[in-house]
Amino acid sequence: MAHHDRGSGMKYMLAGGSVMAALGLMMDIGGLMPHAAPKKEICQEIVQPKAILSRDQLTQLLSVSEGSDKAQIQQLVKTPYCRLPDIQAQVGAIAQREAYPLAFDPQTWLVILYEGNTYAGYAFSFRH
Amino acid sequence: MLVMRLVSVTKLLSLISILISVLLAGCGSSSNNDEPIKLQMYQQWQLKPGDAVKGFQVLGGLGDISISLNGKSVYAPFDGRAQRDPQNCLIFSSPDVPAYLFRLCGLNDLRLGSHQQGAPLGSASILHFATLRKQPDGTWAIVEPSKPIIERVLSQT
Repeated sequence: MAHHDRGSGMKYMLAGGSVMAALGLMMDIGGLMPHAAPKKEICQEIVQPKAILSRDQLTQLLSVSEGSDKAQIQQLVKTPYCRLPDIQAQVGAIAQREAYPLAFDPQTWLVILYEGNTYAGYAFSFRH
Repeated sequence: MLVMRLVSVTKLLSLISILISVLLAGCGSSSNNDEPIKLQMYQQWQLKPGDAVKGFQVLGGLGDISISLNGKSVYAPFDGRAQRDPQNCLIFSSPDVPAYLFRLCGLNDLRLGSHQQGAPLGSASILHFATLRKQPDGTWAIVEPSKPIIERVLSQT
């Protein structure tokens, strides 16, 4: 029993250590970014000033394939922090974009792009 | 008890994988190395920019809009990053515009790396411009580029 406890304690230590290492790396990389100037505001309309995306929500979102229904994504991520201006990169496809600060790193935003009722993709936008 | 432990270990592992994916995305948008990126294209056309026919170089392909620039500059349409592909075309990506890439062929002096919107990306006598959209299978399809995006590329907004 004691042996078993030590084994799982080790697992926690390893897992915790990896998380700390990952966080440390993220901070280093932030400092090394060539253009550290603050980004200009990209929101067109603030929807929910307190909106953030939890780890669980992010994990679930990453498992949804591009091309899925917008409703499926919106059920997962709820109300966005803000909307970006609509853009039309492709003729005939008006893209709506919504942004969510990450709960564990609010300076990083997840930007989601929809076209009509289709979820087209996401990207991580840094330094907000 | 054991089940609970397993659940929390699984949670920790998923957290780690998220952190790593965020981290990788971070590296992707911040590193300025000159390694060309190779995109998996949705259309498998016989001739693409950079190919040769009878020893003559192909400058633009199906899906490219060719614009006479007479040596004028093109500009970053959004905040984002310029990379080059193996054909030495510039591939522009922006975290503010998920699911899309912009390909600019024919530029003389590629300015790679991170750019703010409006930063010069290079100049060309003839620009061959294509818009690529990510497909659910991960490939990139050439789609019809909209005029507003081309206008952003041609003016320092």
